[in-house]
Amino acid sequence: MVPHRPDFWGIPAEWNPTLWVYSIMFLAVFVLVFRFFQQARLWWKVGRPEVRWDHPGKRLGLVFKYWIAQLRVLGQRYPGIMHVAIAWAFFVFFIGTTLAAIDGHLFQLFQLLGNQNAITDPEAFKFLKGGVYLVFKLVLDLFTVAFLVGAGMAVYRRFVRRPSRLTLDSRFAFSLVLVIVVVIGGLVTESLRLAVVRNDASLAVGWWAPAGFLLAQLWIATGASPEALTNWHMVIWFIHLGSVVLMLVTLPAGTLIHILTSAFNTFFAKLDRPAGKLAPLAQNKDGQSIFVSALRDMTWKQLLDGDACTECGRCQDVCPAHAAGTPLSPKQLILSMRDTFHENAPLLAQSANGGNGKLVGEAITGDMLWSCTTCGACVRECPVLIEHVDMIVDMRRHLVNEGQMGGMLQEALAKLGRYGNSFGQSERARAKWAQPASLKIKDARKEPVEYLWFVGDYASYSAGLVDITRKTAEVFQRGGLDFGILYETERNAGNDVRRVGEEGLFEALVEKNVEAFAKSRFKTIVTTDPHSYNTLKHEYPSTDASRGRYPILHYAELLDQLIAEGKLKFNRQLGYKVTYHDPCYLGRYNGVYDAPRRVIQATGCELVEMPRHGDRSFCCGAGGGRIWMEEDLVKERPSESRIREAVALDGVTAFVVACPKDMTLYRDAVKTTGYENRLVVKDLVELVHEAM
Amino acid sequence: MDIAVVVKLVPDLVEELAIDESGAALDTSYLRLIVNELDNHAVEQAILLKESAGGQVTVIAPDLEGVDDILFTAAAKGADRLIKLTGAMSGVNNYALSNSLAAIIREIKPHLVLTGVQANNDLDGSVGPRLAALLGMAYVGYVSGVTPANDSVKVRKEYSGGLVAQVAVRLPAVLGIQAAGKPPRYVPISKIRQMSKTARIKDQPAGDLDAGNGAAVKHMFKPEMGTHATMIEGEADEVADRLIAIFKEQDIL
Repeated sequence: MVPHRPDFWGIPAEWNPTLWVYSIMFLAVFVLVFRFFQQARLWWKVGRPEVRWDHPGKRLGLVFKYWIAQLRVLGQRYPGIMHVAIAWAFFVFFIGTTLAAIDGHLFQLFQLLGNQNAITDPEAFKFLKGGVYLVFKLVLDLFTVAFLVGAGMAVYRRFVRRPSRLTLDSRFAFSLVLVIVVVIGGLVTESLRLAVVRNDASLAVGWWAPAGFLLAQLWIATGASPEALTNWHMVIWFIHLGSVVLMLVTLPAGTLIHILTSAFNTFFAKLDRPAGKLAPLAQNKDGQSIFVSALRDMTWKQLLDGDACTECGRCQDVCPAHAAGTPLSPKQLILSMRDTFHENAPLLAQSANGGNGKLVGEAITGDMLWSCTTCGACVRECPVLIEHVDMIVDMRRHLVNEGQMGGMLQEALAKLGRYGNSFGQSERARAKWAQPASLKIKDARKEPVEYLWFVGDYASYSAGLVDITRKTAEVFQRGGLDFGILYETERNAGNDVRRVGEEGLFEALVEKNVEAFAKSRFKTIVTTDPHSYNTLKHEYPSTDASRGRYPILHYAELLDQLIAEGKLKFNRQLGYKVTYHDPCYLGRYNGVYDAPRRVIQATGCELVEMPRHGDRSFCCGAGGGRIWMEEDLVKERPSESRIREAVALDGVTAFVVACPKDMTLYRDAVKTTGYENRLVVKDLVELVHEAM
Repeated sequence: MDIAVVVKLVPDLVEELAIDESGAALDTSYLRLIVNELDNHAVEQAILLKESAGGQVTVIAPDLEGVDDILFTAAAKGADRLIKLTGAMSGVNNYALSNSLAAIIREIKPHLVLTGVQANNDLDGSVGPRLAALLGMAYVGYVSGVTPANDSVKVRKEYSGGLVAQVAVRLPAVLGIQAAGKPPRYVPISKIRQMSKTARIKDQPAGDLDAGNGAAVKHMFKPEMGTHATMIEGEADEVADRLIAIFKEQDIL
């Protein structure tokens, strides 16, 4: 006789387990759904509307990628394997239990539909028998083993290693213990049954249930009678049932809620714009701008972000502001918002004026918000696609509107407003670097050029960078490039002005630059600064009525093209061993990783990667307007931590950058860390210039 | 407490300054004007007083390039009335300016008149005292902070040597502001743009601009560069030898 799946083995039929178990489970699921709905409705009740329902197909793709396949979770080996082992085991258990329920009750469905065969031979409707059943057992058992491995890793991590990024409190311990009890309960139940039925060909499955079979040997070895084992089975079975019920009813209030909220959060993730494009200020029904300072100002999706947070702490681990010792931890920021939401949302949802939902200045301080470099590492790392940076910029807009900011930033903004640059110098001094007659740089306002070179503030005004800016011009000329600049008409592109939260100033700068573009003739814009590159590419008006969309290139891309086309020829191979720092706004925000690396290789340098490179590059600390702010809360500058990372690489003598702000910061950092003799900071274009 | 704030526009030192052909004035072709920094503090002080004690703030500025922006910025900070003094305001001296201002301020009847204690283009700090004289009000200059009391204000003055004094001033009065109680605030561009659409600037003719007996610049020039110091480097003996040689050359030894 072939083995088959027994229904409620070992539970007296006169107790009517089918009725009881299904009633209890339906009740538990009802409690789960009801409690979850109570939580979920608050997102919509309190939060502002925001359209996140478009492109359902794409959204389901996100759910598959990040919720089921958990690619982000797998991005880190130990926690990745740990979590996936547990999560996938539960997916499989869920499917297995569903299949078992269908197997047990399919005939009743047919009965209801009036199928006479279903009444005469219920067994004919079962499919978990024979080979199928054995495979079913094997899969479930293997995932039980996987679960035990994952849970063991989790216990070791949570109770022994205790990394600082985790929230080490009882809510998580409770969830972990509970899922372990559920799974071990199931395993023990199975093994006790297998121990009793080991000689019954219709029920024994042998090694097809490896974990259960092995554990069964233990029970057999105790010499207990089949009756005793059956009784034990019943006790454990009740514990298993009870623990599952407990898991279901507590799920919406505990840390396991992330199983549901992360599915929603990945489904409703941002699709309408690239990472490098911020949303403009939202407006209310009366056309007034909404400055985000309280729960009611947030969108429902931002509130959902809070409930979706798994408190894994990956964002905090990669955050340069947190590493620098500032009060910002992206994780704590999201959790502060969530806690305020949990405290106040029920009251807020009841009436228009009820409850206090103030966030900025209370749970979320200005110091936290101003510490952010907007590097996007947190967003890149978050396994459930939380959008930290957007929320921070939204709140900064409120602070700017209230005039709450540090003196340095205020001064920088005032200078940007008056002179169009953060240096507070006259616009007439912008192209001072181009004065040597030998340079002969075309004025794109006066004659047509193929490339409009958007030089940017730092490359234009910073005395320490003039030499590199001139070398860039020389390299362009040697490559036969037809290019020009806007001279005193260029303004700061506004990328960081926008990220500081000064939306009006950003718009004013865009207007000025767009006006200058309209008066010049060119085909392509090339920028020195990755920040300018980002905002020109993503945030400037996307169409120019007269000539359509012009391509925006970063000079790393342009150099790469010139080399590929054979227009830039090198006379010598430099032979340096170098490392390369990916600027956040070139790499993580715009995916330009290969072009600068190809350029480095073309100059004959050997590239050694730092541990944090590519999309996991570590921010220099200057982005998001941080370069204009006080550093009094910074204990270790991100740039210094970065230099230490580079110095640890064997034999690397040059630290290559592709951003003028990086040049400024890292030159300082090499000095302050005392590695002046070990490492020299070089711009990508300096390598090219030297190799020509 | 109703307050009138007098604001001047001065050359922006970010641009290079050149002297015109007359040799007695700045070349205005490249000149760009900016709000006098201390007047900006006076505006801030007025807004701070309005926030703590209520009242109306009127800001008055001469009609020069960029004045609208300055007035709208003041409105965005909280100023209630904006007045532009029209007429041939370029190069007007403080004597004439004060006369025109006094006439306007008499009509406004403020409890307090605030102005920067001096401006970088005259350095004589005469607007405040002269206004006080014309209006028959008390004057206190070099004020760094004002707190309202009943029919008076308490002003803070910082003296050399780290001493601070608090002076009670009966109203109405004119104060020459050196610093506001808090640094001037930042107003976002969007608010200034909003004000440029909604706020109204009242044009008020300056009337007869009589330069009177005010001082006039005869000659304006850039200081001549002194000769640079020479650094003598090397071992102590070499430096000493070199010094002796120099002293001998100069007939000091």
